[in-house]
Amino acid sequence: MRDQIDKYTEKLLADRSACPDGIAFAAQDDVLITAGAQGLAELAGNTLSRLNSLALVAARPSLPFADFLIARADEQEECIVPQDTETRTFLHDIPFLRQKDLSGDPSPVLAKLLGNRKGVIVEGVGIVAVGAITVEQAFINYSSVFHSTFVKYLQDVLADGFKLPGEREAFEEFRSHWLRPLSATGLDFVPSLPGDKEAILAEIERVGRYTVERGLVDSFFGNISAVAGELIYISQTAASLDELKGCIDPVPADNSSTTGITASSELLAHRKIYEQTGSRVILHGHPKFAVVMSMLCDRKKECSIKDCWKDCPHVRDLGGTPVVAGEIGAGGLAKRVPPVIGASGSAIVYGHGVFTLGREGFGEAFASMVDVENFCREEYFRRVEEEML
Amino acid sequence: MGWTGKLLHVDLTRGTCERREIPTEILHAYLGGRGLGVRLMRDFFRLDPFDPDMPIIFAVGPLCGTNSPTAARLACVSRSPLTGTIYDCSAGGRFAWRLKAAGLDAIFITGQSAQPAVLAIDGARAELLPAGSLWGKGVKETVASLKERGSVTAIGPAGENGVLYANIMMGEGNSIGRGGLGAVMGGKRLKAITVQGEGTTPVADRERFDAARADVMRLFRASPVIFGELGISEYGTPALVDLMAQRRMAPTENFRATFFADSGNYSGPAIKRECGAKKEGCYGCPIQCKKASAQGEALPEYETVNHFGALNGISDLHAIVRANSLCNELGMDTISAAATLSAFGEARGRFPDASEVASLLADIAHRSGDGELLSLGSRRLAEHLGHSEVSMSVKSLELPAYDPRGAYGMALAYVTSNRGGCHLRAYPISHEILRKPVPTDRFSFSGKARIIKIAEDVNAAVDSLVACKFAFFGATLEEYGELLTAVTGVEYGPEALKAIGERIYLTERFYNCENGFSRKDDTLPERFFTEPGSGGEGIDVPPVDRERFSEELQKYYRIRGLDENGGFGGRNILEELP
Repeated sequence: MRDQIDKYTEKLLADRSACPDGIAFAAQDDVLITAGAQGLAELAGNTLSRLNSLALVAARPSLPFADFLIARADEQEECIVPQDTETRTFLHDIPFLRQKDLSGDPSPVLAKLLGNRKGVIVEGVGIVAVGAITVEQAFINYSSVFHSTFVKYLQDVLADGFKLPGEREAFEEFRSHWLRPLSATGLDFVPSLPGDKEAILAEIERVGRYTVERGLVDSFFGNISAVAGELIYISQTAASLDELKGCIDPVPADNSSTTGITASSELLAHRKIYEQTGSRVILHGHPKFAVVMSMLCDRKKECSIKDCWKDCPHVRDLGGTPVVAGEIGAGGLAKRVPPVIGASGSAIVYGHGVFTLGREGFGEAFASMVDVENFCREEYFRRVEEEML
Repeated sequence: MGWTGKLLHVDLTRGTCERREIPTEILHAYLGGRGLGVRLMRDFFRLDPFDPDMPIIFAVGPLCGTNSPTAARLACVSRSPLTGTIYDCSAGGRFAWRLKAAGLDAIFITGQSAQPAVLAIDGARAELLPAGSLWGKGVKETVASLKERGSVTAIGPAGENGVLYANIMMGEGNSIGRGGLGAVMGGKRLKAITVQGEGTTPVADRERFDAARADVMRLFRASPVIFGELGISEYGTPALVDLMAQRRMAPTENFRATFFADSGNYSGPAIKRECGAKKEGCYGCPIQCKKASAQGEALPEYETVNHFGALNGISDLHAIVRANSLCNELGMDTISAAATLSAFGEARGRFPDASEVASLLADIAHRSGDGELLSLGSRRLAEHLGHSEVSMSVKSLELPAYDPRGAYGMALAYVTSNRGGCHLRAYPISHEILRKPVPTDRFSFSGKARIIKIAEDVNAAVDSLVACKFAFFGATLEEYGELLTAVTGVEYGPEALKAIGERIYLTERFYNCENGFSRKDDTLPERFFTEPGSGGEGIDVPPVDRERFSEELQKYYRIRGLDENGGFGGRNILEELP
């Protein structure tokens, strides 16, 4: 398990979601092991030993957004409820502990909260997330909480502005230093996808790595596919896009075999997109600014629809990219995305992420996703500035 | 809320039926279903399975009667005549829902009727009826003749004749299978139970319930295994045929191989094409994983098609479907029946051909000819024939269609299962093959001891809710804990549910240890340690490393708090439990 801890510590460093000196893991097989930053490691071990689970990560996020969300919450609130798809589907809500309520060893109360939820925020300490059966699962849950708090904080700032001392400065620091220019430059793509299986798999694996390295996907979410003849090659469900070797299912287009039962939950959406657009590849990621912007709607005040994320029938627009509602898997996204994605080569799903197409290869799809996210990023800051004036 | 707090105590010897209270603290601590049944066995677990005083218990859960997804189920609990272990099996159908509607959490049946009998429950009334005219009848006819009395659960000739893997069949086609509880029921001369009820199950917090239900359904839709276009809702569990072939872990010719070239003949798409498979399923279940032919005939599950198929070297889909139907009609477990035939085939040097299977199955149910020996299951049959090595079983329970050389968590789970070689206790196929909730390396033992222990606890809780394990290809105890809390008004989170599961698991293990089970029984058939499976397409399937297997098993014992012999070291844990 130590190799797993090392691996996911490296991943937290690579995606810059945790502070380098603030990462700790605990894992238990027949004995409990802890590793990482001393205080956090002790907290992780004490907490995990109270749980019937295999692993736990306690880490200080590289951005103060989670703490700001707690400080901005009403006094009686005990959890935050982000509205993005990731939280809605997998986390439901994220409980938190306030610094003022911590006294002595916080691990009993932390264990109690983690007995009900996958991740918890401890003000001034960090995000603590549990992995029921693997170390990877703890990492995924940490990443999910980080993603959700990132998205919610940006949404809240846009809606309500800054409320706390130091918030504006932290936000500016985030904008000018934490964020990096997003581009596809320097990446190599096969211009036209070949029909050869090994070459296709190699290209998918490489592009999968790119999406993670360039920050277009958080944790293990997102998926990627290519079509060749009668086969759709698609990443498997719960596969990390930067580790796709052996995790790509060839699925017959005519459903003559069910080996693709392990394929991504978006297989149906991919299949329909191919049928309706004639494209060769599809890329699906969760770039954060696109997720934030997809949940903004000018008509919310006068609209009677409550569950916008799944029930909104309207096609909105973000810089030429259509935005539609629809739940993941068999939940509606597969119906709403295919009809709108052909014209622009990209589509955004409410609170969820971006799908892009490549007519010949992944270069076009990747560049398109970068463009969508860059537009959303710029539009977000433009709107923030507009609201602040 | 959630529970009725009542069980129906039936004494077949005396011919009495009376309602009794179940203490609330027992319901809170064991939930229902498997847990409640196991708790109610506390004073009886040492009895022989065929002792008239041995109870057979049918128990529903607190979610039954609400529209919690997949929860219209019950568990049947007793001691298995096949394995000698404590035994439970979960089954769906209207019976569970109607039992709850009759105001009962459980039926507790002891004794032995002088004559064949039917237990008839209609709301608050319960009576024992003579069933001499039904004795010897098949399941279909029995169910048809009793259907005016509500939902029916019945045994067929196999149960009457004491076949050690006889099922109890639910009227809608589900089965209480594997461990031979049909023979326990037959030994009591109880042919069937009917139930009718009108009551409703109240929900303590409707708003919270609706939110939790929506969360569960969202996760079902997000799960490729459940609602994916290639998933079990579409193709039933035979959706796994192609996957197991591709993973090179389809048990073939009595586990001498792990790949069957003709398995495509009975894959999910083939069954859909050839049999016009349409969706069916348990009452109120949104998944509808059961499949029926255009004529309404129940179509076989994955384990059944593999075992009547690859395990016996048979590729004829229609012969496999016939074998499944015959087992259902005779009231017999398909996995153990097919695996026992396969062991018989290896021992005699010839697997049964497709045309021979039907007559052999009939012989088993009636214990005639070779059927007398075959009715005892593969372990006893193999020993009788002087080839104990051909029984592919753990604790006498025949292994299902997941070769342990292809998934090491499965290898460990088979031996730690309290009811013998069963795939549904820790169910590591979920993560080792189907990648849920996250994937694990199927060719590694690393971490598996802890993973198996946690999963056994989780699934003991699931079996006590009582929910379907397939729901957990999408949802988790987080959402089901919310449903339970909303229904009962008692707070249950995942950790609380896992603690209940652990309590149930340890109780079962304790019962088994008291009955002589120990480390020596926690092992796989020798073949898996010495012979490789069928590699191919870049996949190597070596024998299981015995040393690593033993090391991980010892880790498992330590994690469970057991001694190195897998026992309790003289500790009576029952004194520590509610």
